[in-house]
Amino acid sequence: MRSLKTRPFMDASILGRDRILQPTVMSRSRQNNIRGPTSALTEFLRESGITPTTIARRAAQQQPQQDEQAQAGPSTETQTNDAGPSSSRPSRTASRNRRASGYGSDNLDEDDGEPEPEQDGDDEKAEELEESPAPAKKRKLTKAAEAKLKAQEKKKKGKGKKGSDDEDYEDDDPYTSLSKSMWSSGSSKPPVGSFENCARCEKQFTVTKYTMAANPPPGWLCHVCAKASGQDPFKKPAAPRKRKAPGDKREVIHFVENRLPSLVNMCIKIVTQYIDDVESLGDIGALNVEAIAKAMAKNRSLTPENARLFYNTTNTKLIFYDATNLTSSALESLVYMNPNLTSLRLDFCGQLDDKSFKLFITSLPALQRIELLGPFLVRSPSWKAFARAHPNLEGFLINQSPRFDLECMHALVTYCRGLKALRLREIGKMSDAFLEEIGDLGPEALTYLDLSCPSESCSDTAMITLMSEVGGSLTHLDVSKHDLLTDSFLSEGLQHCTKLESLGIAHLLDLTDKGVADFFRSWQNPALVELDASRNPELKGDALEAIMKHSGLRLEKLNINGWENVEENGLRDIGRKGKELVKLDVGFCRNVDDFVVKAWLEGEDVKGVKKGGCRNLKELKVWGCNRVTAQCPKKHGLTLYGVESHVIRR
Amino acid sequence: MDVDTEMQSATAQGTEESKENEWVRINSNDGFSYLVRRKVAQTSGTMANMLDPNGGYAEAQTKICTVDERGIVTEKLVEYMCFKSHYQTVGPKEDIPVQEMQERIPPEIVLEVLLAADYHEM
Repeated sequence: MRSLKTRPFMDASILGRDRILQPTVMSRSRQNNIRGPTSALTEFLRESGITPTTIARRAAQQQPQQDEQAQAGPSTETQTNDAGPSSSRPSRTASRNRRASGYGSDNLDEDDGEPEPEQDGDDEKAEELEESPAPAKKRKLTKAAEAKLKAQEKKKKGKGKKGSDDEDYEDDDPYTSLSKSMWSSGSSKPPVGSFENCARCEKQFTVTKYTMAANPPPGWLCHVCAKASGQDPFKKPAAPRKRKAPGDKREVIHFVENRLPSLVNMCIKIVTQYIDDVESLGDIGALNVEAIAKAMAKNRSLTPENARLFYNTTNTKLIFYDATNLTSSALESLVYMNPNLTSLRLDFCGQLDDKSFKLFITSLPALQRIELLGPFLVRSPSWKAFARAHPNLEGFLINQSPRFDLECMHALVTYCRGLKALRLREIGKMSDAFLEEIGDLGPEALTYLDLSCPSESCSDTAMITLMSEVGGSLTHLDVSKHDLLTDSFLSEGLQHCTKLESLGIAHLLDLTDKGVADFFRSWQNPALVELDASRNPELKGDALEAIMKHSGLRLEKLNINGWENVEENGLRDIGRKGKELVKLDVGFCRNVDDFVVKAWLEGEDVKGVKKGGCRNLKELKVWGCNRVTAQCPKKHGLTLYGVESHVIRR
Repeated sequence: MDVDTEMQSATAQGTEESKENEWVRINSNDGFSYLVRRKVAQTSGTMANMLDPNGGYAEAQTKICTVDERGIVTEKLVEYMCFKSHYQTVGPKEDIPVQEMQERIPPEIVLEVLLAADYHEM
């Protein structure tokens, strides 16, 4: 007999799972003998002789015999009938082992009387199933003993908690109750009204809805025999003991509801309260207004009411890091209250629409730089009017707008001849035609150009032409995610750039290792300060070497996230040459490990002297570098992000 | 100095619990000083990191946190920390007098307290 070490398998939870298997088994049932592949669980159950019929039969027997005590599931059979040995199994003692039959027991075979001698080992496990008694020698117990035990059971149940596995059968909770098929008997009842022969007295009787299943099955009992066996079909089921509502019984993890508000939140509420009483808030100028704005943006608590804290007619610069809650009219008041703005930055200004933007057009005459993240409601005519109204505009930086189209671009270029900084990031309508317009700005105009993340990439040739037209004066260029760009963009386009300090060529999948390497070797531009070449999995050691040779001495920010195969030597090169590095992102570079990081932080041993190393490194990101362990060397002042074994502390 | 090392060795052998009950000092930048239990100081993320013996910061050795704010602002921070550490452990049925705490912050200093609270992660 197979000893069942894995006791929990017999728990109801598994059976709940197995329940899902039941219906198919039952429907497939008796017609054919075809057996498809089965899970380990079904194999096991089949081997042990547990079938849906036995389970359902037990369930059927339980039902009519419930009194307010016997809330236990089919594994506990504490009914007082003496219909047969297989059904009544009161325990010998309440406190000693509950030798369960059925699901709680090791007694897997469908035997009806074989005592299990070796059950002491299951003592502790049986303890869990408080309500599942089954003695080894049940037949020897007299009725008196049964009654006594039942009384003990009652007492025990009164104070003990229910075994969770028992409950699962009984409650009406749709999540955890048995499937409907379990409630009815395994063999389906013959239709009401038909004739059946009683299993006991062989007499013919009419099947009604009160017909009881015979015990032992199969068969049905006529009304007389059913009554004789103690199961009164007409007896109203005893009022069920008040149970916890299914909603309560479900184990739901409640989040702490009365959270203590943070001090920051409390202060912001107070600020909102006193917003009208400016004097009482004291001299804001003394404090860092920007810092306050950042603190409030951190949890999106900038509202139309407390935004007024920042308004001042003498303001020339205004930055809101999160203007989500500023409604259209709130933005209008923003303009009214700060008419002398020269520089305005609104992140997440989704509620900015034509109506409020109109005021931007008319009432901010001194505006020279505007930076908007998410102004998707502003329509094309408004953009055009804005351009027309601000001929002195120097900075136009917008992020995410599907409505900014070619005509707007044209208007911008026509009216704002002094444009120095242009960002059109994540612009839906970006195309080659746009690039032509930008080219019209002429050389010596733009210093900052960001065209990254278009919905559709611009072509190589158009970009190259653009570079030849405006590239000469650029100090910052970002063309990330224009995936049609190739090596020729680098060699033919970027060669026009002689003043670049910051370059973004991320997500350009057609760039090759050799191409990039060749480019950096022959580039006339002085060393870069910032380079973002992330997500280009083709690039490897050659490119990195060339980059470090070209810009290594000046590079402060380097991002090569996604360069999966870059070799260790190339990585160490970063440490050898990149003295000024402050921020480094080497995510998913699989060859980064603790030793490489050590070389970066401390330098390498050259003839006994430590040389190189990135002494100024403040931020190091190693996301996806699974060879960097928690033992990775750290340095004071360095923030290390992305070590896989680091666990979030709070 | 001797007292410090003595305290150190004693606490090194102490259990987590007795560590929680240790006193730590919070200094303001204008000479005021507050003594609180370590548990209270740890309601502030920044201070918890400062006092963490594994963190390698000097404050862990001296058990003194310096807050770069005036005394009156520091006092409000300490008051909030006591309030929070006390009510963190209270059961879900109990009422927490949040409004009272809020009323105790005068508007004259609220902006300074806001920035200090943000810095100290509380």
